[in-house]
Amino acid sequence: MTECDDVLSQLLLGRALDADAAAHVSACPHCTAEQGRVRRVAALLASDDVPPVPPALSARVLRLAAPLLARQARRAAWWTLARALAAALVPLPLILFLDFHLVRTAYGVLNVLLPGAVSFYVAFNYAATLALLLALTYGMIPIVAERQMRLRREECRA
Amino acid sequence: MATDEDLMTAVASGDGRALAELCGRYERGLHRFIFRHTGGRDVDDLYQETWLRVVRAARRFDRRRRFSTWLFQIAVNLCRDWHRRPPPEPVDPASFEDSRAGPSGTADASLDARRLLAALPEAQRSVVILRYYHDLGEDEVAEIVGCPKGTVKSRLHHAMARLARLARQ
Ligand SMILES: [Zn+2]
Repeated sequence: MTECDDVLSQLLLGRALDADAAAHVSACPHCTAEQGRVRRVAALLASDDVPPVPPALSARVLRLAAPLLARQARRAAWWTLARALAAALVPLPLILFLDFHLVRTAYGVLNVLLPGAVSFYVAFNYAATLALLLALTYGMIPIVAERQMRLRREECRA
Repeated sequence: MATDEDLMTAVASGDGRALAELCGRYERGLHRFIFRHTGGRDVDDLYQETWLRVVRAARRFDRRRRFSTWLFQIAVNLCRDWHRRPPPEPVDPASFEDSRAGPSGTADASLDARRLLAALPEAQRSVVILRYYHDLGEDEVAEIVGCPKGTVKSRLHHAMARLARLARQ
C-alpha cells in the first residue's frame, strides 16, 4: 500500500512518474483504478482562483509595524552603545595610570630645571590637555557607535 | 542582493525599509497560503498578524535558519489557532454528495479547489498547500508544520485518499 500511496502522491503533486512508478501503475489494479481520480483532484486543485493581494495591505502592515520597529531601533541603539562603552572602559584604568605617571614624571623633571610655580603651571596644562583628549575620545563613542549601526544596517540591505 | 536573513538582521535593529523589502518578496506567497488555508476568511488580519509577529520576534530569529521556513511556520501556527477559534467548519463529505446530486449541477461545478481544501483537517490541509501549491520538499514542510518527515508523508497520503473519495464519481 505504501508504494501505491507514494505513486499516487507523485501524481497528485503533478510530478512525472519514473519508469518504475509507471510500471507499478500499469501492473497494480488499485493504482489503475485510482489514478484517474487523483489526476482529477490535482486538476481541481490547480484550478483554484486566489484573488490578488489588496494593494493597501502591505502599507497597512508597515504602518502597524512602525512603532514596533521604533522600539527595536531604540533597543538596538542602546545595546550597541552599551557594548561600545563597555569595550572602551576596559583600557581606561591603564590609560589613567599611564597618564598620571607621565604627568608626575614630567613635573619631577621640570621641577629640577624650572622654578616651582612655572613647573606646576606647565604640568597642570599638560594634565588638562591629556584630560581633554580623553574626554573627547570617550565623547565620540556614542557618535561612532550610532554611525557603525547605521552602516551595518545599510550593509544588511545592500 | 541582500539575503532574507540579512534583511531580518536589519529588521531586528528596527529597519523599516528592510521589512518592506521582505514583505515585497513574500507578499503574494504568504497571502495565497493563508487564503487557501482559511478558505478566504480573515486573510488580511492573519497576514498582518504574521508580519507583526515576525517583527516582534526578529531579535530571536536564528540566522542559520531559512527565513521562508520560519515565516511559514508562524503563518501555520496562526492558521492553526484561527481554526481552533471559531466553531470549526469541517465539511461533511455527505454535503458534497448532496450538492453533487443536485439536478442541474455537475460534479465539477460543485467541487472546486476551495471546497476540496476545506474538506481536509487542518493538519492535512497545511501539508497539501505547502507540498502542492508551494512546491516545498518533505523536509521543509516537516520543519514548518513541526512534525517528522514520515508524518508529512502520511498526512499527504490521507489527504489524497480523502480528496479522491470526494472526487469519486
Ligand atoms: Zn498501486
